[in-house]
Amino acid sequence: MEDRRRDPSLAADLAALAGAIERWAADLALTEEPARFIAALEAGAPPTAPV
Amino acid sequence: MTDWTIESLAADIRARRISAAEATDACLARIERLDPTLRAFISVDAEGARRAAKERDAELGAGRLRGPLHGVPLAYKDLCFLRGLPTSCGTRTKEYFIAERDCTAASRLAAAGAITLGKLNMAELALGAFGDNPHHGHVQNPWSVGRCAGGSSSGSGAAVAAGLALGALGTDTGGSIRMPAACCGIVGLKPTYGRVSRAGVMALSWSNDHVGPMTRTVRDAALLLRVMAGPDPDDATSSPRPVPDYLQGIARDLGGLRVGVPENYYFEGVDRAIVEAVEEVARQLARLGATRVPFRVPDPQPLVDVTGLITRAESAAIHARIAKERPHELGPVVRARLEVGFHISAHDYLQALRLRARMAREFVRRVFADVDVLVAPTVPEPAPPLVEVTGAPVGAVIARMGRFSRLTRPFNGLGLPALSLPCGFSRDGLPLGLQIAGRPFDEPTVLRVGHVYEQTAGWFTRRPALA
Repeated sequence: MEDRRRDPSLAADLAALAGAIERWAADLALTEEPARFIAALEAGAPPTAPV
Repeated sequence: MTDWTIESLAADIRARRISAAEATDACLARIERLDPTLRAFISVDAEGARRAAKERDAELGAGRLRGPLHGVPLAYKDLCFLRGLPTSCGTRTKEYFIAERDCTAASRLAAAGAITLGKLNMAELALGAFGDNPHHGHVQNPWSVGRCAGGSSSGSGAAVAAGLALGALGTDTGGSIRMPAACCGIVGLKPTYGRVSRAGVMALSWSNDHVGPMTRTVRDAALLLRVMAGPDPDDATSSPRPVPDYLQGIARDLGGLRVGVPENYYFEGVDRAIVEAVEEVARQLARLGATRVPFRVPDPQPLVDVTGLITRAESAAIHARIAKERPHELGPVVRARLEVGFHISAHDYLQALRLRARMAREFVRRVFADVDVLVAPTVPEPAPPLVEVTGAPVGAVIARMGRFSRLTRPFNGLGLPALSLPCGFSRDGLPLGLQIAGRPFDEPTVLRVGHVYEQTAGWFTRRPALA
């Protein structure tokens, strides 16, 4: 696949994605890590659900 | 046979009112008659299905019942690996995906007695919201040929709606179970992330993929989930939680349940008929004893951005080989969607994964303090005409996919269980879809609300008028 990074629409897509990440990650805690996603699901289950 | 449900057919087979062979033959005859138009199947394994049905009948004759699906014909999205059958993943390459073993979900269904009819059509590489496919034919909506069946599990939606199979497996990375369920007027459940093993199913995004059932009734979805769910050593992300009996208590009344109807995001830009149908659902649930709670969800747009970036990066990594070595084999929309992923930085990808963890934790804490389930439309418009989503320029198709899936995608990023079921029909006779989402691993409540509503509303009794 040819490198199309200079394609204006692709460049715009990439810039939008990177911009969104930069905006939302500005106040991420140092302790935040990807595996806490699974932990959030397990912790958020209702008490009545079987564990 | 179009009135069969998985439960009713399994009961009839157990009681010897019908044999597994007769049920399988009826499905195969219907496939032969209708599938040249619907294009729901990529491969039909008539010989294997008839052989398995004979075996199930012989087992029953000898007093051996495999499980609750004994003799029930099912079909699988063509990204589920099943030994002996090709797995194209919707590409033009017949054997695009080969796993070391049968996919866990299908092998559990077979162990419970299910019969495999074949493999179902889908959007190429599961990268499509409308279910069109340039290699295997565009799946047609059984309610209106010429309209899309919804994607990416389009064959699964059409096959179940048309009565070609009693149930099907789909996968959902951004709505790919729920969108075809909504377009085809059936039930589709995206379970909690990790509830059903992904082992043996071709990935699109390891972080956002979910495997789930597509059926005619909520009870059937609960039954298939009960069989498929549970820990699997072959999927490190599968949850160790034991699996409850999802049918137990499914008909319990809704008294005391708090149903949230989001005031933001979920009704913006949505077709008027769908808005009115979901509003009527909320009123109906209140009449059934639930308490309607107006509330605002945390803005889903950041989550949609973050989840989209993760999916793009992971799908480009997974399909790098075909995209780089044989791009001419892919349709232009799929090629364009994969290409973005090649240029996402490792930094942005990791930040997105960290953000997702925080967003999921905050959403669960804030939203489920006030509500037990939330209800919303599944898709913003009834099934669009295929010509509109196949004939437009690539950029326009991708933009329309983004709009079409904007109501389902947040629940992939959040990993929450989300059920789609019919909540009415448009003036043109097209199904309208309702989405019910709940706490992590609270499929019992989500299914209960869906079942109680379904039985009161009765939409599930309607069938498409197929020749």
